[in-house]
Amino acid sequence: MSAITEAPRGNCALGGANAVLSAIDKVVPIYHAGPGCCMQTTAGEAGQAGGRSPFYVSGVSTPCSNMLEHEVVFGGADRLRETIEGTIEIIEAEAYFVLEGCTSGIIADDVKGIAKEFTDRKLPVYPVECPGFLGESCRGYEIAFKALLDNIVEPAEREADLVNLFGIMPYHDPFWEGNFEEMTRILERLGLRVNTFFTRRQGLADVRGSSAAALNIILSPWLLKDASEQYRKGFGVPSLRWPGVPIGATDTSAFLRAVAKELGLEEKAERLIAAEEDYVYGYLETAIGALTWKRFAVVADSSTAIGVTRFLANDYSFTPIATIVTDPVFRSEDKERITRQLTELEHAKPPAVVFETDGWKIARELESHPEITLLVGSTNDREYAMEKDIQCCVIAYPITDRLVFNRTYAGYRGSLTLVEDLYDNL
Amino acid sequence: MAMNLEVTEVMGRENRLGSISGYCGSLRDLSCRARCGGIKGRERCFNQNSLCNAACAQGTLSLIMDAAIVNHGPVGCAVDAIGSNFVLRTMQRLSGANEHNIRFLSTNLRESDTVFGASEKLKATIRETWERHKPAAIFVCSSCASAVIGEDIRAAIGELNGEIPVPVSPVFCEGFKSKVWASGFDAAFHAILTDIVKPPAKKTRVVNFINFFGSAKKEITELFARFDVQPYFLTAGSTIEGLSRLSESIATVAICGTLGTYLGTGLEQKYGVPYVQSMRPHGIAGYEDWLRKLGAAIAKTDEVEAYIAEERPKIESELQRLRSRLKGLRAVIGMGPGYSFNFIRVLGELGIEVVWTSAWHFDPKYDSGANVPELEFLAGGGAEDVPFTVSDQQNFEVMNILNTLKPDIYFSRHPGTTVWALKLGYASLCVNDEYTAFGYKGIVNFGTMILDSITNRSFAELFAKRSKLPYTDWWFRQDHAHFLAKAAGSPAGAQAAAIGGGHE
Repeated sequence: MSAITEAPRGNCALGGANAVLSAIDKVVPIYHAGPGCCMQTTAGEAGQAGGRSPFYVSGVSTPCSNMLEHEVVFGGADRLRETIEGTIEIIEAEAYFVLEGCTSGIIADDVKGIAKEFTDRKLPVYPVECPGFLGESCRGYEIAFKALLDNIVEPAEREADLVNLFGIMPYHDPFWEGNFEEMTRILERLGLRVNTFFTRRQGLADVRGSSAAALNIILSPWLLKDASEQYRKGFGVPSLRWPGVPIGATDTSAFLRAVAKELGLEEKAERLIAAEEDYVYGYLETAIGALTWKRFAVVADSSTAIGVTRFLANDYSFTPIATIVTDPVFRSEDKERITRQLTELEHAKPPAVVFETDGWKIARELESHPEITLLVGSTNDREYAMEKDIQCCVIAYPITDRLVFNRTYAGYRGSLTLVEDLYDNL
Repeated sequence: MAMNLEVTEVMGRENRLGSISGYCGSLRDLSCRARCGGIKGRERCFNQNSLCNAACAQGTLSLIMDAAIVNHGPVGCAVDAIGSNFVLRTMQRLSGANEHNIRFLSTNLRESDTVFGASEKLKATIRETWERHKPAAIFVCSSCASAVIGEDIRAAIGELNGEIPVPVSPVFCEGFKSKVWASGFDAAFHAILTDIVKPPAKKTRVVNFINFFGSAKKEITELFARFDVQPYFLTAGSTIEGLSRLSESIATVAICGTLGTYLGTGLEQKYGVPYVQSMRPHGIAGYEDWLRKLGAAIAKTDEVEAYIAEERPKIESELQRLRSRLKGLRAVIGMGPGYSFNFIRVLGELGIEVVWTSAWHFDPKYDSGANVPELEFLAGGGAEDVPFTVSDQQNFEVMNILNTLKPDIYFSRHPGTTVWALKLGYASLCVNDEYTAFGYKGIVNFGTMILDSITNRSFAELFAKRSKLPYTDWWFRQDHAHFLAKAAGSPAGAQAAAIGGGHE
């Protein structure tokens, strides 16, 4: 039995899959689901990730079979067929993905078969089996990647300077665009070309040709295990897993060294690291003492939790007390990898590490650490910070009280923004 | 016509009120068909997503300050409502209550639950909700997933056998139940009416005020004080104890007829609390009609007339000035049916021509059996005839209409549709605040807001040059009703004359 969840910090599998696919330019999701699933998932995912909506087709413009009682009883195949036909007539796209919701998943409409009727006519219509009950946003992210790998990615000649940058979830990471941009900036300075699939100018062509990459860089401690296997087996692309989006000079430089080692760019990397670290410390120098020492807790997805905990402890001399990982991490080796990252700190005593998705249990865990003076979390966690009258910095999903465009806490430059935001929140 | 309040589950509006979500014609034609009972909804053979009644039901219930909600479904069905934490906390702050998040638990239905059932899990979630928060009531909402697999929520609550000492009320709001998402308001209000409201112990001078977020609370409280009554706003910011006493009130009003019909009519039928059936208090004619009918219900007719005589002249010159500046503007409206009818009237009072209206659904009558007062007013000479479509927020139709008619401004009440009008380059005003154009001051403020938005159109114009809409050129060459199937007795070409031909 899956756990009862208060104030879930993630959407359903459908929401996650939609967030991924609608973040690719000129890709159109078609829902085969109830009438409200699209609004619930876009408002619940992108809308709560810093108040955004996807840019090409989203929200009210997403086609949907709007399954009602009639479809539940008699099946929704015909309704889906006409929805796809209409979509192709009305909406220009390079690919259409048919997303299955709970209703069609339970009554078992043949979405694959119907999509095939269209691909047989050389129309780019692909099925995605992602009914909400399969899991959370993270599951949807992995399902969408599989759909891309199964249907879009094609074999290609290896390109030594091309890398794929994965692991940052569109929208579910409210800072995804800024994070991609900063990490891309750094990798480009190393002389690489970077596929992200999602940042604006990229699209299906980049997905298709991602098999040419010399390396997949997966910035997550646990996501895309299967996709990484599929790239290796199917296209011979190896993967480097880096456990989270690095924040600050220490982790970002370590990350760069790891990438450089894989690609034989060590010398270039050292010159880049020296320049970037000089840039960061040049700024930090001008605001020494602006922030006083804090005893902090982090409540966030694993990637953010690792990045923030390590930066504040390793680079900024704050004291980690507790880190609560809100991802539905289920493999024990992943939990161990995450725990290692959070506890093997260079300069600080390790925080208590807890895996918890339930809002109420998270608050109880925090209560067991009364010494906390700074809480880094989501909008949900403001409640606890207000109750205890401690500082709160909102940087993890869900974020409903900030607007986020390209702000980032990633890499070298992002760490400066994190310090700025901590100061603004004092 | 009497409502059947004894049912456990309220029917969707299609079956209860004959509501429709597909129509193309004109305001007069719509009114005529509604009166003679000859209106039949038309289906579309292509749809964009609309909204589910669960969103409306949970949105309504989650803003009650001391209640908790259980959603019996996958986590996705619970996440959106949690986004209202910000609204709830604002309500709590304004009323001096402790600020806390919405108490919202999901049973987190998974694949195996859809095979083996999950009533044990539901009971465990309800118990857990009580143990954790001791709420004043627990509402248990259904989802598509729990309904398709046939979960019996009422039976599960029954099996708790009174172990929870507060009302545990089922809310049947699965998404596939109704195409008209406003049915979710009815599902929520049915739960309140049958499980929360108690028989009156006394009568009070409170007016139940059914609204969305209550931004004009202060102003209305002051206004009502003149008539020796106090408003009780619901559901946002209300409490279970407050709701339990709705039966004691002297009258009920609603800011939106679509929102208020079920609870207003139900309170009148079950407890004799008069439901004020008027136009809504937007603009001058609506405000005065509302005040007069409220005055009649609370026996304050003279006081209301004195108020109108005193206040109305104060805005006359400002209104004249605004009218002269706004005259000749052409507008398109895309809103829910209640607001659509009210804003056709309000824009008319400001001298703006409404060249098209798209309502997200249409109720030919309300639960009392009464016709829609705003529509009666418009069709009875209150406005020129207006080309009218009913569409469940079908964005492709709205875009086509805007592209054909090229209005000066687009009015909506759902930010999602405003985005797309703006991308087409039209000045767009999202009437987010339900009290926009409320009363005399409101119409002046609204006129000023319109003037501002058409005077500086920089954002829309700059945006339109750079944005690429997803719609094909082919679509913009078609009639907007292309995908609306022909319904018997309702020839698709009937509306053509209304906008100067060119159809089919």
